[in-house]
Amino acid sequence: MANMKIKAKVKGDTLKCKIQAKHIMLPYDAAKKKGVDANFMTLITAKVGERIIFEASTSQFISKNPIFKFEAKAEGLKAGDKLEMSWTDLSGETVTEDKKIKGLK
Amino acid sequence: MERRKFLGLGLVAAALVPASLSAVDFRKEKPDAFTAHNVADAIKALYGDIKTEEGDLSVKAPKIASNGGAIPVTIKSGLELKSVALFQDANPESAVVVFTIGEGMIVNYMTKIKMKGPGEITIIAEGKDGKFYKTSQKLDVALGGCEG
Repeated sequence: MANMKIKAKVKGDTLKCKIQAKHIMLPYDAAKKKGVDANFMTLITAKVGERIIFEASTSQFISKNPIFKFEAKAEGLKAGDKLEMSWTDLSGETVTEDKKIKGLK
Repeated sequence: MERRKFLGLGLVAAALVPASLSAVDFRKEKPDAFTAHNVADAIKALYGDIKTEEGDLSVKAPKIASNGGAIPVTIKSGLELKSVALFQDANPESAVVVFTIGEGMIVNYMTKIKMKGPGEITIIAEGKDGKFYKTSQKLDVALGGCEG
């Protein structure tokens, strides 16, 4: 399931995250040319425990293998916490992956 | 025959029930915003008739993007915001991404977008105080990136 690359690190009082998901992100125009169905991510979320720290509704114009960088306040995080990323695409597929957050004591 | 039809309808209804993941999925709540063909329509579909003002909101993108398939765009703001939306006017549909901002999030996003040709990126931010902020940047694209 190496579908996503996730980096999450706490620096000072900020949680810095960088993710790259593996996805074709085929827009309608290109799909028509190729004669296949368009497929792109429609919703990407990141959670630590129950707290949502990132949420984006995306369209077809995010690049192929999309990269997102985002930040959140590190308040209340403790060692061993995991960042859980998940995305849903147009075909209805949902992928969830998690990774331990670095730099927590 | 009627029974068959009835069963078919049931299946369709089941397929339409959305599997909601979290609080706000703008694609489901405001589907018009993602099919609008120009920026003004998309903003109207997403936020309604709004007046925008300048504020602590910035967008950073290269002036000339060598590859239209992956243009890095950085959005930063120190304001208390509810959501941030990114639009452009080069592609057939305008909306690119809508970030929902909740408790404890910092508005400092970077992502890569696709643009077919030269155009303008527009950022609209919805503040917690009900005000709307806008910023934009024009850029050139050397190689169009909408062909996949």
